[in-house]
Amino acid sequence: MQELDQTVTIGATVPTGFEHTAAEEVLEKLEATARVSKNRGRIYFDITTDKLLKVHQLKSLDNLFVVEEMQIDWQELANKLPWTNALEVWKLNNSIKKKKGRRKRTNPTKSDQCGNVDAKSTDTVPSDPEELCEDLEALEVKGNQRDVSSQPENYSETEKHSEIQDQESGVTPLKFRVTCNRAGDKHCFASNDAARDFGGAVQEFFQWKADMTKFDVEVLLNIHNNEVVVGIALTVESLHRRNITHFGPTTLRSTLAYGMLRLCKPQVSDVIVDPMCGTGAIPLEGVMEWQNSFFLAGDNNGTAVSRSRSNIKHILKRTHGGSFSGLPLDIVQWDLCNLPMRSSSVDIIITDMPFGKRMGSKKKNWELYPLCLREMARVCKPGTGKAVLLTQDKKCFLKALSQMEGLWWKLHTVWVNVGGLHAGVFVLKRTAVVFGTTPEDVMEPHTATGSQKESMKDGSL
Amino acid sequence: MKLLTHNMLTSHVKGVTKGYPLIIKATEVKVNELEFNAQFVSRMIPKLEWSALIQAAEWLGQSQDLPSALIPDYENDEEFLRKVHRILLEVEVIEGCLQCPESGREFPISKGVPNMLLNEGE
Repeated sequence: MQELDQTVTIGATVPTGFEHTAAEEVLEKLEATARVSKNRGRIYFDITTDKLLKVHQLKSLDNLFVVEEMQIDWQELANKLPWTNALEVWKLNNSIKKKKGRRKRTNPTKSDQCGNVDAKSTDTVPSDPEELCEDLEALEVKGNQRDVSSQPENYSETEKHSEIQDQESGVTPLKFRVTCNRAGDKHCFASNDAARDFGGAVQEFFQWKADMTKFDVEVLLNIHNNEVVVGIALTVESLHRRNITHFGPTTLRSTLAYGMLRLCKPQVSDVIVDPMCGTGAIPLEGVMEWQNSFFLAGDNNGTAVSRSRSNIKHILKRTHGGSFSGLPLDIVQWDLCNLPMRSSSVDIIITDMPFGKRMGSKKKNWELYPLCLREMARVCKPGTGKAVLLTQDKKCFLKALSQMEGLWWKLHTVWVNVGGLHAGVFVLKRTAVVFGTTPEDVMEPHTATGSQKESMKDGSL
Repeated sequence: MKLLTHNMLTSHVKGVTKGYPLIIKATEVKVNELEFNAQFVSRMIPKLEWSALIQAAEWLGQSQDLPSALIPDYENDEEFLRKVHRILLEVEVIEGCLQCPESGREFPISKGVPNMLLNEGE
């Protein structure tokens, strides 16, 4: 397979709100300047094709696609687009994916609610990723013109170059589908129409066959007002489930966890604590990327603790190839409101706080949040400590925060979309005030909740 | 549970004022290999309660001639830093318990995870 050293534009979806941290990672690791698109949740950058593998290793990106062109008049798109380059990249990418796909198949994910970032209308429903991988392999066999009896269990570990060569010899037409994302008020068409019409044009141009589930090429059509982006998908399964094999009810996407971690800029020897770790998404992502900090993951729930432990075991097996058998990470089962930790021992606190929807309740949050914030302030180092906290219950959080101005101040907030819910990542700095001396924490806890109960009565919850 | 973690944990039983350090009673200890980073170790040392660390190492029979007080210029002593690296990150308590030095309350450690939850009213 020839090495192409052309420049190509890659588009990537990222958790909405984290476009800039993703752009930072791209600049840091690929030395490419990313453009943050008007479509929230997307970035674009140019690279040479030899860096394609590195793109797959980036941690802020959910899904990747190669961009062909951005045009306004979409009706004539199929004929005008320079498909050749993009398809060459797609082929190159396939050989990378095959290697990754093999590894992933030995660790089947308990497919859960694979949350999609954008709530925009998508034309096709993505089928189960595991199934897609299997179907791709079955197709490959078809390309060799052998009898297909799809037996994914017999899939061997040997390298396969045949798929690409067979397609180049033009024996079997490629199968494709078009997925359309459309946003904007003034369109007189729906995404279905766009996908269908564009799909028709593509089919005529290439003589490919349209197939919704068993496709080789996924053509992406992104229409935002009067801007159109056409791409070819490079990822079948979103990259964001990378570390977690044991899901819990509210497991956080790895890309979102990574974005949050970048916000706290972990330094060498920083002690980073997630006091409500759940299945451990944040500490796991942290320990993979920032190996010179120490991560402490805690939860009060026994099931969460054992899931975290399983996820860690899985990571250890997958990485390091057995040369190192440990990670700078520990798990403790504890109660967040009464942490068994020395005061001022923690550099960074980072966590995904219960939203009160799938976990906990809004009412509980009114008591939980102030207690959390106080205990976090106690263990966090005055003056240098930081906290990065994700929550959807912004009202409750901000109220709780305002009651302890002496201990925390708000640096900035990143608004994100988590499973369709509008949430905030609050970045806080621990003030230099020593715990136990401000009027806020001298005040009796039940007095604080008493006044909260009164404001609850107006039914705003 | 690594000894770095143990160095930060304390008893939070109600009314206890001298809950640190927790006494380690280990029935199973493992040594795992972790990549050595001199900068990590030398920056971590000032954040630790050194005497508690030495005490913990002794309870596990892993003292290995670690000094009871820090020597000056330890940042450049690689042999020393490697010993500290080992005791902080590589020695792990898999089974056993942590005991509050004041109340005697025991917190079990199972599969490397200490359970510090208190019962109602404790």
